[in-house]
Amino acid sequence: MSIMEYNGGSVVAMVGKDCVAIASDLRLGNQALGISSNFQKIFPITDRIYLGLPGLATDVTTLRERFRFRVNMYTIKEEREIEPETFAHLVSSTLYEHRFGPYFVEPVMAGLSKTPSGGVKPFIAATDLIGCLNFAKDFVVAGTASSKLYGVAEGLWEPDLEAEDLFETISQTLLNAVDRDAYSGWGCIVHVITKDKVVTRTLKGRMD
Amino acid sequence: MFLTRSEYDRGVNTFSPEGRLFQVEYAIEAIKLGSTTVGIRTPAGVVLGVEKRVQSPLLEASSIEKIMEIDSHLGCAMSGLTADARTMIDHARVTAQNHAFTYDEKIKVESVTQAVCDLALRFGESVHDEEAMMSRPFGVALLIAGIDELGPQLYHTDPSGTFVRYEAKAIGSGSEAAQQELQDKCHKQMTLKEAQLLTLRVLKQVMEEKLDQHNVQLAQVTSEKGFEILDESSLKQVIEEM
Amino acid sequence: MTQRPQQHSFNPYTENGGTILAIAGADFSVIAGDTRQSEGYSIQTRYAPKVFRLTDKAVLAVNGFAADGNMFVKKVRQRLEWYRHAHSKDMPIRAIARLIQTMLYARRFFPYYVYNILGGIEEDGTGAVYSFDPVGSYEREACRAAGAAQSLMQPFLDNQIYFKNQTPAPGTSFPQHLPLNTVLSLVIDSFTGATERHIEVGDSLEMYVVLARESPSIQALQNIVGIQERTSTADGERIFVIRRDLKKD
Repeated sequence: MSIMEYNGGSVVAMVGKDCVAIASDLRLGNQALGISSNFQKIFPITDRIYLGLPGLATDVTTLRERFRFRVNMYTIKEEREIEPETFAHLVSSTLYEHRFGPYFVEPVMAGLSKTPSGGVKPFIAATDLIGCLNFAKDFVVAGTASSKLYGVAEGLWEPDLEAEDLFETISQTLLNAVDRDAYSGWGCIVHVITKDKVVTRTLKGRMD
Repeated sequence: MFLTRSEYDRGVNTFSPEGRLFQVEYAIEAIKLGSTTVGIRTPAGVVLGVEKRVQSPLLEASSIEKIMEIDSHLGCAMSGLTADARTMIDHARVTAQNHAFTYDEKIKVESVTQAVCDLALRFGESVHDEEAMMSRPFGVALLIAGIDELGPQLYHTDPSGTFVRYEAKAIGSGSEAAQQELQDKCHKQMTLKEAQLLTLRVLKQVMEEKLDQHNVQLAQVTSEKGFEILDESSLKQVIEEM
Repeated sequence: MTQRPQQHSFNPYTENGGTILAIAGADFSVIAGDTRQSEGYSIQTRYAPKVFRLTDKAVLAVNGFAADGNMFVKKVRQRLEWYRHAHSKDMPIRAIARLIQTMLYARRFFPYYVYNILGGIEEDGTGAVYSFDPVGSYEREACRAAGAAQSLMQPFLDNQIYFKNQTPAPGTSFPQHLPLNTVLSLVIDSFTGATERHIEVGDSLEMYVVLARESPSIQALQNIVGIQERTSTADGERIFVIRRDLKKD
């Protein structure tokens, strides 16, 4: 019985052309028993940064609040919005504080950082449960369906996908991966983040 | 032929000076006392017919079982010491089921015939660590009829453990006359109905009593319906057509 | 720092990594496997075949514990030969599948630690894939991945072969069977993807292609680099092998 598999759930984030996408399932279970098909695991940190938190549900909720606290403090003190890469390091250090009694989550981040010219640079990152950062250029995966997500993403992803195509790609990656995982699924949600807006869609998928 | 019998016909497994196994040959003789049995192969299927030889009017004719199913696509008719045939048929059935279980396919007719013949020579005294199956050879010959991917086939087995494929064969007491009749009347393109009628006519010729639906039995194997023994009403119909 | 009593015993099994995959088409079957054999973090060899030709119609891929896999193939080949002598014919693939079940279940209480995938041409000329668990549970399928990268490959195949979670454009429908060149591309993409993300997969890829009699798919094989034919009978079915490199890291 692994603590990381107790509640179930998975998250994936992908890089596109001047956009990023982050998606997760909506299941909360108690081992094999499904409890909720509406459990949110992806939270907006700022307009341009989204954080996905798969793993032990109590830690998901607690960390969401802890990061809200810490990001608010940052905003107040720095008098500016936190950048994605900085936030990633904030996540890393918060988790490492509990190196010998960790939070059982594997955070996934997606955002758009500002470039000096005023444009946007897509950004994704993930960490393990004790804060080891992974800055990938293509995609990051986490959760009980992570190996399945790796397989489909590796097959479907290509660089420089436009927002609509990135949406299709990340959706198919998530849907087909969670369908092979008993502990993930029961509904899926996708956020596509571009310079001007964030489009959030819930996907129609198998509910078994 | 049996003038040369002396001490060499008592030891079941002993060869005579001329190189003969007398017990096996005597077993074959036993079959000539058995009730007549006929088998005919046609492109549409194989027909088997037996003389039931009802010895007494008090005898329940339906209890005489001389044609038996081996598998849905295989059947056989016997002549001779029919009790001996039960072991052989049981072995054939187990072999057929084992094959279907292991290979998910129907066993070939030749393969099941070979399996039956493998039993024939397991007689004699037991060797030191091996067990003998029987003390004497089987006293029964079988006509095995079946259909596989090579089409309908008819095989004859005897106590020597040999099997031979036939287009048409008669065994038992009336076999000599019956076989001659079959040779004259059979042809390659017979229909199933023609084969049934010929079988009955041949049996009628060699039977002492008057042939009716109670003292004979007919069976057939076809690709559409597999092995079936004709019920009383169907048998009566064929007899009437004769 | 007291210790608890330790019991040591001989573990008869080990895992040798690698992955296999088979896809059935309308009149062909593709059976593929990488050639890396590993134990833990070590590579034992970069070329140890896991896919074997049984007959001109049947190919067996074995994955899991290599010693059991190799021995199992030898025993299956032996049974095939005994059958050929006893019944004067080659075993049809459904019979081989059932035989494999009985052979595996016979060792129910000390199993062959092998995941088998049998691919080839069925008696009616259609492409067939049969997959097995270590104790003989089996099923005919259109496609199956097994081994270290099964969890990576199978969902990708669900999407690309069965078109799961996809709806066809209005007025069209998904093809029931994919053509051979598409299938070969999917196999290669599956293995390159698995090689990227799984350490036990890599070095090289060996693909066996079994074609039914007079299959028009032979056209798709005409221009493939390095293709080798392994057909040995004149029955009509044909077998080919295609090797490709995979990343060695």
